Amino acid sequence: MATTTATITLTSNDISDSPISITNQAIFTTAGTDTGITETTGLARKKFATSGNTVLLDHGLAQGIAQDVTADKSAKVYIRNINDRGDGTKYVTILLTAVEIGRLYGGDWMLIPWSGGSGKDVEFTASDTTETTLEYCVFYE
Amino acid sequence: MATTTATIDIVSQDWSKNYEINLNAPMDLFKHNTTGTGLLQMNYHKAVIPTGTNFTLIQESAALNSNPANYVYIANNNTDPEDYVIISIQNEVIGRLYSGDWAFFPWSNATTATAGVDDPSGNDTDIEIQAVTHECIVEYALFHSGETLLTASDS
Repeated sequence: MATTTATITLTSNDISDSPISITNQAIFTTAGTDTGITETTGLARKKFATSGNTVLLDHGLAQGIAQDVTADKSAKVYIRNINDRGDGTKYVTILLTAVEIGRLYGGDWMLIPWSGGSGKDVEFTASDTTETTLEYCVFYE
Repeated sequence: MATTTATIDIVSQDWSKNYEINLNAPMDLFKHNTTGTGLLQMNYHKAVIPTGTNFTLIQESAALNSNPANYVYIANNNTDPEDYVIISIQNEVIGRLYSGDWAFFPWSNATTATAGVDDPSGNDTDIEIQAVTHECIVEYALFHSGETLLTASDS
């Protein structure tokens, strides 16, 4: 059994009068159990230079992850835009099917649970055609 | 300007004999269209989510929509592995946060919908939550550059 932990640390010395420091560690387990998740895509990278809507994680596929990730299971998606931030006007919009979740600017990352299901692709749209690289990984059962 | 840093560490050393994951990624939370101006505002909450109803956890607003560099943190503090909350945005289920899980993601509050009483801007991309199995204790935060404040009804 694999033991995978994801730890977030949120810190700021000046967003309030007192410094804040929030740390939380999650252990990736299968749905409703203490058993560690044992499957992963591994860490992957995708380079692109288009502003068109693009599927990152395709739930239309008939095999592989598409069959394994379903609403009653457990899956986590990590995505990072590894470009430089630049002037802060370039970003990648992350969507769940047609619904926009948010924007990953250069250097930004996200970790979300993923219910998956038919047509529930994770997609992205870049703000322009500058070459952008996304790093991503799915942990699933 | 404030400097707030969110760092993720994902570690797994027992996938196989020759493969381990050891990932570290820090990021600073900046305003849109700036080289490095930090977000100045945050909300931090802790709440008990009863079962059976899909609740609005973080409400959208026109100001959030117009400054789309916002970041959401949600943690399920329950301990029973069977407990979970369903996190949704608009009509899309993002996924389940089981006991001990957390999520962190950007939120641009950007999809246009029809304006309503609970949707003053017409951009109903509230972050929603539903507890299943048992009530769940959640902590959640929104780091943002401005929310639309509501005029007091007795003003």
